[in-house]
Amino acid sequence: MERSLKGPTRVLLHPRFIGAGATLFIAAFATDAMYCETSVWQWANFSAWLITIGLVVALVATIVLVIDFLTARAARLQWIPFLLVAGAALLSLINALIHSRDAWTSVVPQGVMLSAVVTVLLLIAALRGWRVSTAQDAALGDRA
Amino acid sequence: MSRTAHKLAALTVLAALGACDKPGGDPARQYGPNPYLPEPKQFLLPPMSVPNAVGWTVGQTPSTSAGLKVQALATGLLHPRTVYTLPNGDILVVEGNSPGTEPYRPKDFIQGKVKARAGAAAKGGNRITLIRDANGDGKPEMRTVFLDHLHSPYGVALVGDTLYVANTDAIMAYKYTTGATRISGPGVKLTDLPAGPIDHHWTKSLAVSSDGTKLYVGVGSNSNITENGFAAEDGRARIYEVDRQSGAMRPYATGTRNPTSLAVDPKTGRLFAVVNERDEIGPDLVPDYLTMVQEGAFYGWPYSYWGQHVDVRVHPQRPDLVAKAIKPDYGLSSHVAPLGLAFSQGETLSPVFANGVFVGEHGSWDRSPLNGYQVIFVPLVNGRPAGNPIPVVTGFLAPDHKSVRGRPVGVALDRTGALLIADDVGNVVWRVSAAGSGG
Repeated sequence: MERSLKGPTRVLLHPRFIGAGATLFIAAFATDAMYCETSVWQWANFSAWLITIGLVVALVATIVLVIDFLTARAARLQWIPFLLVAGAALLSLINALIHSRDAWTSVVPQGVMLSAVVTVLLLIAALRGWRVSTAQDAALGDRA
Repeated sequence: MSRTAHKLAALTVLAALGACDKPGGDPARQYGPNPYLPEPKQFLLPPMSVPNAVGWTVGQTPSTSAGLKVQALATGLLHPRTVYTLPNGDILVVEGNSPGTEPYRPKDFIQGKVKARAGAAAKGGNRITLIRDANGDGKPEMRTVFLDHLHSPYGVALVGDTLYVANTDAIMAYKYTTGATRISGPGVKLTDLPAGPIDHHWTKSLAVSSDGTKLYVGVGSNSNITENGFAAEDGRARIYEVDRQSGAMRPYATGTRNPTSLAVDPKTGRLFAVVNERDEIGPDLVPDYLTMVQEGAFYGWPYSYWGQHVDVRVHPQRPDLVAKAIKPDYGLSSHVAPLGLAFSQGETLSPVFANGVFVGEHGSWDRSPLNGYQVIFVPLVNGRPAGNPIPVVTGFLAPDHKSVRGRPVGVALDRTGALLIADDVGNVVWRVSAAGSGG
């Protein structure tokens, strides 16, 4: 809709990486839920790995967001989606530590609770297509 | 809704961070039959605190209590864990370490690195070295490789002319003749023992029943607290009785998380064990213990500790087993990691040590301030541990507790009644004797 009014905009790179990381965190909520249901240790093990790799992807996404600004692809930070995504990443960092506990309490109750909150935050951010900034107008970008 | 959850999460985090900062209390509160047991905690950051392994400088030794002296009987060993005296006075030193386990979780990488700082990852020799000090002056005339190419060996025991070696995956039997300095035969397998995959607690301790017909073997758990699944714990965390003739084994006692050293009281024939208890629920939980092992008893792991104190990390819970769990005899305080156990043999060192056990404490890795890193003596009264432990050999830690020179493991008495200590960071066997004794 914006596009039709303002003409073509440059392609943002960061939403793809945020989407990839978010997928891992949301998957960890699924494996946490399975662990609650079954007590089978391997589900908790999956969660620990999913969250850890999710954090690595979150770091990559942060770097790509900076690149988006440096290369004048991104125009303005959009605070609400940014805070949703950044909050999810910070909570996931805490969640990684909780998942480093041994056995049941690595997931229940705080681990799965945090996974659920992270999932909700990320799904709200998904409504904006994982974009946390506006895109630079193409003509303006070319000029810069 | 997400805002309330946020607040809840933030509170959880603050509570957990607060819990991290509290250092452990006075270990003396946890000595004896009724140790102080605080409420268990759940941590955000796994509590880890290890000194840097630096080894001993030339001429440097541990310190001993008054009236004793200490000598290095052998140096330059490859991760010595167990010392054992043969009837002719020859001393066997078992050099071994974990067969090496693959990290399963992100945490395992970090924890492995931290523990390695204190020397836990050094390569084991997978062999037994023989030391001969025929005149008992603490200066060996001979040192030779007695038995090589073993598989993470730990326990060793001689019965008649059969020498048993507990590798991490099997008990092997070898023919031994008095005075032999090398075993050349391949040996015969008496029985398999629970080992890989994972093999988290890999040591297999050995002792012989007083009538010589049975072996006792200590098998540790495959995790801290079932985080590698219940299937991985099949046949683990227990002490077996093994028939020497048939190799048949039966559980003698269960629920002992990691029974790292076994010894039979020469006076009463009763089996004793030191057991390493669980980690990561607080600097003062759970006390490691020394106990006379009751046949058929369940000591709680993983469901509970020190009787009926339930461990909430285990799921599903088993209230029926918790109800059956018995309390061990004597707390040694938390995370000291007792790895060696030997009965004293009269007043060979001092009248103080006439009747009791020596315990080698490898030292803590997940407690601040550090605990253990010494050899203690626990007096026995009427064949049961009683009274406060007495430090016998200390000075393994540097005074600032930032670095560690050595870590005591197995203990034994030599033919003269001197105390032998395997040190797997200094790679030394120490000999402690009465200050006035010859040599």
